[in-house]
Amino acid sequence: MIRRVVFVLVVLAMCWFAEDAAAAGIKPPASPVAGQGMSLETSGSGSATFYLVGPATRLKRSIHLGEPIRLQPREVAAAGRYTAIVDGDGGTSVSFYVAPGKPAELSFLARPSRVPAATQHGISGVVFPFDRDQNLVLEPLPVRFELTVAGGAPESRTVETRHGVAYIILDSGRKEGAAQFVATVGDVTARRVVRQVAADPCDLHFQAERAKDGILVRTAPVRDCSGNPVPDGTIVSFVQVGPHGKDTVDARVKRGVAQATLPANVPSTISVASGVVSGNEVHMGGGQ
Amino acid sequence: MTRRLLTAVSAVALLVGLLAFRPAASVTAADSAPAITLDPGKAGPRELEEQTQRSIVRDYGRAWNTLQAALDGNDDELLQQYFVGVAKDKLAQAVAEQRKSGLRLHYQPRGHALQVLFYSPEGSAIEARDTAELEIQVLDGGKVVHRERLTQPYLVLFTPAEDRWKVRLLEPLPK
Repeated sequence: MIRRVVFVLVVLAMCWFAEDAAAAGIKPPASPVAGQGMSLETSGSGSATFYLVGPATRLKRSIHLGEPIRLQPREVAAAGRYTAIVDGDGGTSVSFYVAPGKPAELSFLARPSRVPAATQHGISGVVFPFDRDQNLVLEPLPVRFELTVAGGAPESRTVETRHGVAYIILDSGRKEGAAQFVATVGDVTARRVVRQVAADPCDLHFQAERAKDGILVRTAPVRDCSGNPVPDGTIVSFVQVGPHGKDTVDARVKRGVAQATLPANVPSTISVASGVVSGNEVHMGGGQ
Repeated sequence: MTRRLLTAVSAVALLVGLLAFRPAASVTAADSAPAITLDPGKAGPRELEEQTQRSIVRDYGRAWNTLQAALDGNDDELLQQYFVGVAKDKLAQAVAEQRKSGLRLHYQPRGHALQVLFYSPEGSAIEARDTAELEIQVLDGGKVVHRERLTQPYLVLFTPAEDRWKVRLLEPLPK
């Protein structure tokens, strides 16, 4: 009888210690955030090897089971899935997700760097918010976009991020100049400059008069449809057609106007064009 | 006898030549892509052209092969072929930590299902969600300390380079 009791006790003891030996366990932190120190709870007893594998982490450390494992901020700086492994005393593993931190930096793509004034859907802005450890922040965030040209009314809109990105498409302003394109998330701001330049010439007009060595043609100040002067260097073409044939003379806009001297062929019809835009015509007859 | 000797020497020379001029590991890796599907359905605001879809599938497969080769060989130089920016920096850090710790993570992708989420208006960024079927092994020296088969979603950001799309962000997502 006693022998049986001793046998049962021995078996129970073996089971007890076997249970203890297999009790190596590891518990991940609750709601861990990238770049913040954290602890993993362990259970069991004795020594073991701890491994941590994450997006940018490969960690190997000797630990004592039953004591917490402390992780430094730099060891869990990348957001993503981590696998913690305990090798020894039964061995176990657990996986957990480390979330990105708060936005600290904006990746702001503003296109294009130069855009004609008054262009519909001419400017786009795309924002990706990152935390201080370069993790894309995935929770929805309001992004305020603002486009301003000196002397003009700012245009602003707020767009919420989705999958870590927010974008906007805007018309360029009517006034030429350096437009400040600003994106803001909370207290984080990114600035870009979009240069708004005069668009194609609009309402081209010129005058012609006889000169000593031919016909002098001269445009009125060349402007786009919003009234912005086109940049110097813009090509303006004068075309002269008559019984003699056809002559074309290209002139560059200089200080707002373009001028040229055509051959003194009369009668003839002279027209003006710049790019795809054409202007008025002038007929030069024998008496004009 | 002399002919036999010459034949044997020629055969050995041919074998040595073939071994010497076999393709580099990275090229081989880049040419055997895992199975990848792409769903462009939710792309926007820019339309994702068919040619771009094909390029993304090709380049993402090669990026994963490059990643495997870099992690298996602890060679972060390979990464620059298909990774750039944050993705390259983090993976290079992983390789550096592997060298330091003696640990190694081996990926065996079984397939990738890409769903395009965003294609920027001017065409300079594509964002996609990849549902990856992976088999991973964690090795300490030659010993496998962990083995797992899992479905892991990733957020991937592609940006265009000279002749390919490079991965700028490869961020694991919660399931």
